[in-house]
Formats: sequence, structure tokens, C-alpha cells
Amino acid sequence: MIKTTESGIPGFDELTSTDEFPGGIPLGRTTLIYGPPKTGKTIFANQFTYNGLENKIPCLYITADQGIKQLTNSMMEFNWFLQSYIDNGNIYIIDGISQLAGVKLEDTNNYKTTTIGNPADMMVKVGIGSRYVYRKCPEFRSVLDSATTLFAFNQEQMVLRVLNAYIRRNNEAGGAGLMTYTEGSTTEKTEQQLLSLFDNLIRMDGETITINSEYNQSENLDGFTSVYNITEKGIVVNH
Amino acid sequence: MKKTHIPKLDDFLGGGVPEGSSMLFSAVPGVECEAFGYQILNGFIEDDGKGFIFTNVAEPPNITYEFSRYGWDLETHIEEGKAFFVDGASSFIGMPPEGKYVINNHEDVYEMVKKAINDVKGGVGIINNLSTLIDYTDPTEIIPMIKGWNEEASKTGTVLVYLFTEWDYKPDLVESLKECFNCVVSLNSIEERVIIGQGFMVTSASWTKPLTNMVLFFVMQPGGVKIYIPKILVTGPYNAGKSSFVKSISEKSVSVDRMALEKFPTTIAMDIGHLDHGGFVADIFGTPGQERFDLMLDILAKEAVGAFILIDSSAPQTFARAKEMINKTHSEAIPNIIVANKQDVKGALSPEQIREKMNLNEQIPIVPTVVTDNIGVNQALDTLLKLLYG
Amino acid sequence: MIVCIESGIPGFEEMTHTDSFMGGIPENSTTLVYGPPKTGKSIFSYQFCYNGLINEEPCLYITTNKGLKMFIAETNDYNLSVDEYLMNGSLHIIDTVSDILEKKVEPTETVVNSEINNPTDLMVNIGSKINLVRNQNPRFRSVLNSATTLLAYNESMLIVRVIKAYLMRVKEAGGTPIITYTEDSADKIVETMLKSMVDNIIRMDGNELQIEAMKGFGKSENNYIITENGIKLE
Repeated sequence: MIKTTESGIPGFDELTSTDEFPGGIPLGRTTLIYGPPKTGKTIFANQFTYNGLENKIPCLYITADQGIKQLTNSMMEFNWFLQSYIDNGNIYIIDGISQLAGVKLEDTNNYKTTTIGNPADMMVKVGIGSRYVYRKCPEFRSVLDSATTLFAFNQEQMVLRVLNAYIRRNNEAGGAGLMTYTEGSTTEKTEQQLLSLFDNLIRMDGETITINSEYNQSENLDGFTSVYNITEKGIVVNH
Repeated sequence: MKKTHIPKLDDFLGGGVPEGSSMLFSAVPGVECEAFGYQILNGFIEDDGKGFIFTNVAEPPNITYEFSRYGWDLETHIEEGKAFFVDGASSFIGMPPEGKYVINNHEDVYEMVKKAINDVKGGVGIINNLSTLIDYTDPTEIIPMIKGWNEEASKTGTVLVYLFTEWDYKPDLVESLKECFNCVVSLNSIEERVIIGQGFMVTSASWTKPLTNMVLFFVMQPGGVKIYIPKILVTGPYNAGKSSFVKSISEKSVSVDRMALEKFPTTIAMDIGHLDHGGFVADIFGTPGQERFDLMLDILAKEAVGAFILIDSSAPQTFARAKEMINKTHSEAIPNIIVANKQDVKGALSPEQIREKMNLNEQIPIVPTVVTDNIGVNQALDTLLKLLYG
Repeated sequence: MIVCIESGIPGFEEMTHTDSFMGGIPENSTTLVYGPPKTGKSIFSYQFCYNGLINEEPCLYITTNKGLKMFIAETNDYNLSVDEYLMNGSLHIIDTVSDILEKKVEPTETVVNSEINNPTDLMVNIGSKINLVRNQNPRFRSVLNSATTLLAYNESMLIVRVIKAYLMRVKEAGGTPIITYTEDSADKIVETMLKSMVDNIIRMDGNELQIEAMKGFGKSENNYIITENGIKLE
């Protein structure tokens, strides 16, 4: 039986649980959350991250969309306080974007800057970061927000290669990976190739959440679709 | 001959790199590669040479900053005219370009780099990064482009260093790429679920028959590429024969013994040895088996790249303890093998029986030995090294 | 609680006010205002800019579709005269249009020229202007009107990157930026990228102002009219 970890999203684990599958986010896999812009994908990923941290599960977080300052601020809007976990080393952050904002931040043990246009360097840091979190807990979490920004700054084929390497690294280490992507931000062909890299897909369209995973093949599809809301406490899935 | 200033690499290449040669550093994704290029450039300049960096991955100020993290002063080199950038990154994100040559269109790359090669005659050029270049170049043009640069380099006596990440390209592309260079150094990872070590290996060099040992390295900031002498752990329950094992695999070893009990000498601190097995070097640490020394095992396990778990095949009552130690090395992601020692003792269990008794999965190798008679010791070594390096 | 700043659009605060949301535009967030041509997006941006100025929040206004003169004339048309703020140094303008028209304006303390087809030069100007404005008051506003012209004159992905950098820089400095964009004027992919980069999305179709997304608030829509004092929500 596949192992999972709780998502931290109220209603999500119940929605995804079946006889063969315990529900939640699978370990040793990377799940893609996609959908139109502004439908709560990042909130989902951050909620998942924070839920892990609160339960002493470390997280490797690649932030390509917001710098560390904005990341911490936007999480604070949901009362998720990241700073203490940055301080105690339970989150390992790879910041690919602060440099673009002209900010020079010093690297620490668990905070590394990279350049969004330099995927090789990003992968080096992913390598170090996954070892770091793995040693703290083999059932770590790994989040990349978002692939869309990578596509804006690199050739599409290169991004696919990098994401493929990232997914492989993450799956081998056994962590629960989550990546976000804005639907329609690449060509149709690239988007198809991207989706095919994942065994598990979560689509959020602003109203409904649909989970398409290797575990619900035999299930009635409706069992994995539900409406959701974005509340002050994050995403809530009706179930 | 020019020195690369990468430790060990110059020895492996017969003293260094001939002027005008091209080198490819080809890295598995996740293995540090840039440091090699930057260190070579810095070394050349310190030897009174000149150099340039072509970048299409990071803006020059970021690279200059990266240099300063290594403790190398690129800024002064640039001010003194000893180094310059071919900036192929900034204008593609709307940042102010910085460099002697600025690339605004991908079509200009070829000519600009060619000029740069000429400008640093007898010096070095770093191409960072070849993978990104491939993505922005027509696939039919990439090989002629590299060949053109290499020819120019050979004419002017400039050493060209290409940094390349081996993403999942078609094997024949990688193959034909590698044929373009005088020398290829591959940068590999040692993995056990996560990357636990990095190594470089010369796979080809046109001017010499290179030594093809894998050298483990790590990258320091400040400091650059440093050779890493890996630690190998020898652990296991009390009285399994760890000290003898350390002695038998080491050139020389030191043991800190004390007569703990009148009859049985036991290690109270640790056994230390140095291994040189077919070009592979490592420091060997043997830990005491008693639980009160587990803290030491924890510390050593954090730094080790591999572990031998020794067990006394004739003492199944100690297996639970051995299993505990295996779990410890697993949690640190260290590849390990079981050395089933004392096979000569009456009642000793066979590897199969041990596997069953300890409920070990097939992935963990079990090697039968009689350490005191030097039986099976080499097999044990080879098995672990194979696990480490594939 | 998310702190909001006034939008400058009469009725907008009421429209966005709920028990848990104070109404207005979330401070230090990024907003895209888009819609078909001639629906009042620029006017929205003038009102947003003007409202900040009268509240002593300086503004960096990047105009890529109207030269300085035209900008001043239009703001006057809606009784949003900015002359005073250009004089007292709280309104900073980067004008990329006058250069194209070969009518470069005389650069002053507050106005600089840049070139529409030179994103690098534009970014350099943006960088130094943000520093200036931020030093006047870290609570400041910025407008890029409009992304459409930039996209028309340059490779579109390059502009996506430049806009990302612009938004990041304003945000990092503490400001609140908005960008305008004419719907369907660029590739769908570009439009999606723009939407994914901002926090809030407002669409204006000539009749309705639709808040498609706003952090801490959600969605809403309301009819609007364009009066001699600018946009007004009904």
C-alpha cells in the first residue's frame, strides 16, 4: 500500500481516501497542482508546508514566484508563521527570485539563493537541500512554487528537463512532493508533456477541486471531485 | 602545460592541460560544476594569465558575488583587465548588461565568444553553461559552433572550459558532444536515496593516458573545490571482530584499546585506519559496539559515506543489536553491507540464514568472512565500493 | 487582517468591504487591471495614482502609451490635476513615449525619458526611481500603463520577465503597484503569465468592473460609469 502524509487541507484527505488508498498526499511521489491563475494553488502548497512544519515534518521549499520576504508575509495572512521554522531549521528554502528584486541576501544553513535562469545551480541546491531534510525526517515534504515562473525565464524544453530531474530526485528520496503550475502558461504541447511527468494531478479551477491520481482509476471519478473555498484559514474542501 | 588548480586533477592529467585544449566538465544534475570553472579561471589569473567567462545563466554581478563567496576577487581582476565577461544573460531579463561583450541576440553568441577567445590568447575561457546554450541553439548548429570555438582556442593557445549539466538529453547528442573535446571530466554523485557525496573522474584526455580514479570532492565557500577523503564506518555489536577488520583492510591502523575486562580487550574509543584499495582512498573508523558509545556512532555516521556492519555469525543473540545499528546508518542514508564474520566458528549461520533471521531485504549484501584469516575481506571491500560507485 | 489602501475609485471600498476585509486594494500587493480597449483602465490608474498623491503617498508612474503632455492633459480632463505633485516631487514619471514621437520631454527632478524598445534602460530607470520614491515614503504606489505597448515593441517573454522584476522590486520596497493591459493584445500564454504573476485581477469591460481575484477578498462585480470625475461604481 502506498504511503501518504496528511495534506493539512480540511476535507482533502477524506475526499481522497479509498479502500486501497489512505488519502492525503502520497510519499515518494510528486503531485502537480494546476489550474487557472488565482485559484488557490499556492495557498494549497503553503498550507501543506505549514501543516508539516507544525507536525515536525521538515520541508524543502523552492520559491520561484515570491522572494522569501513575500513568502513569509503572504503566509502570515493565514496566520501561518514561517519565521520560527526558518530559525529552527525545519524548512530549507531555495529562493530563486529575490535576486531579481535586487535584494542581496546572505545564505544560511537552510536558506540558499539561486538565479531563476540557472537551473543547474538550482538542482545543486535541491541536492543539498533534500539531503538536509531527509536526514531530519525521511518522510519530508518538498514544494516548488511555481513551475510557471521557471517557464517565464527558461526555454520550455529546459524547464521540462529540470522538473524531471527534480521529480526523480524527490521521489527517490521518498518525500511528498508538491508543485504548482498555472494552466495555459506554456504551449499546449509543453503543458501535455508537463502533466505526463506526474502520477498525481490536482486541478483547482476556483470552485471545484479534482484529483486525478494513480489511485482512483477504479473509483468513481466523482468521489475525487468536490467544491472548495478559500477561507481565512486557507483552503477548505467540502466533503 | 597549464595548471587547472583543481587538486589531484593536474596529477591525473599528467601535469595539467596543454595550451589550446578544450575541456568539458559534465555533471549529473545536482552535482556542483560551476566551482570547477571558476576555480580554473581564478587559478589562471593568479598565474598571470587572462580569462573570460561567457554566461547565459546568471548576470555578471551575481557571478562576481559568487566569486567573492569563494574568497576570489574577480572584481579586481576585471578592473586590472585580466578578466572580463561575455554577458549573455542580462539583456534577456532586462537587466543592465555588464561585460566587454554583450549578447542581445542568440545569433551573436558565436562571434562574440570567438572574439573573447582571441582576446585572452594563452589564457582561459569558461563557458557557463553549455546546456543552456544547447536549448537556445539550432540542434544542427551546436556541434559546428563548439568545434569552431575549439579550433580558435587551439590556434590562440587558449584553454576552453565548458560547463555542462547532463539533463535527460538524447544519448547520441551527449555522445557526439563529448567527442568535441580534448578532455572530458565527469562529475558524478554517490547516492543513497539522496546525494551523499560527489566525485570527479577524468573520462578522456587526448594528450595523456589519464588516471581514471574517482576522486571525491566537496565545494567550500570560501575555498573552492577540495578533495574529500571519505570516512568509512565499521560498526557492529560487541565482539564481532571490528578491530581486526579495520586492521585487515587498512595499510596501518591505530587502536585505542584498554583491558576493559580481564580476558577480552575491547575498543573504548575507536579504531582508525587508512584504506587504499585500487586507487580508492578512505579513512576507516571503527566504533565501539557497546550501547553507551552510541553517541559516537551517531557522530561518525553523519560524516560517513559507507558502512560495514560486522556481526558474529555464531552469536544470533547479538543480531537485534546489529539491526539497530543498520537502522541508524539507514536513517543517515549511508550505503552499508553486512560482514558475516567468524564463519569458521562452530554453529556459525550462513548468509542466507542470517538474512532470514534478521529479516533483511535482498538489497543489503551479506558477505561471509573469517577476518582473522583474511578470508572474504577483499570481497567485502569490493562489495561496498560497488555499492558506492555503481 | 490585510491592510488596504484606498483605490481612488468612488464606490470601490464599499464594494470590497466585508466583515473580514476592510475594503480597497491590499497594501503592498500587485494588481492587474485589464479588459478590452477604451474601457477606462488608464482612468482607473490615474485615480489610483491621484488618490495616493493627495494622501501623501508618492507615486512612480511609468507611461508607455501616452507622452507626458497627454498624460497631464488627460488627468486634467478628469479633475485629477497632478501638476502640484510633479512640482513638489512626489509624482515621478518615466515616459517611454515622447522618445518614440521624437518629442523628448525636458528631464526634470521627477520626469525621465526612457525607450520603449529598450527594456534594459527602462529597468535601470525603474530601479533608481524606486529608490528615490521609497526614500520619500515607503508607503508608495506605482503604475505601469500599459503592459500592452511594451509587449508590442519587444519580445513578449522578455517583457514578462521585466514586468516580473518590476513587480518584485516595487513590492520588495514596500510599494503597491498596478499594471494595465488590453485584453487579447498579446498571446494567450502571455496573458496567463501576467495573471499568474499578480495578486489581484480586475477586469473592466465598459459596463462592469469585475474583481476576478483579490487576496483576502475573493470575487465580486459591479457596474461602473465614466463621469467627468473619472470612474464611478454604481
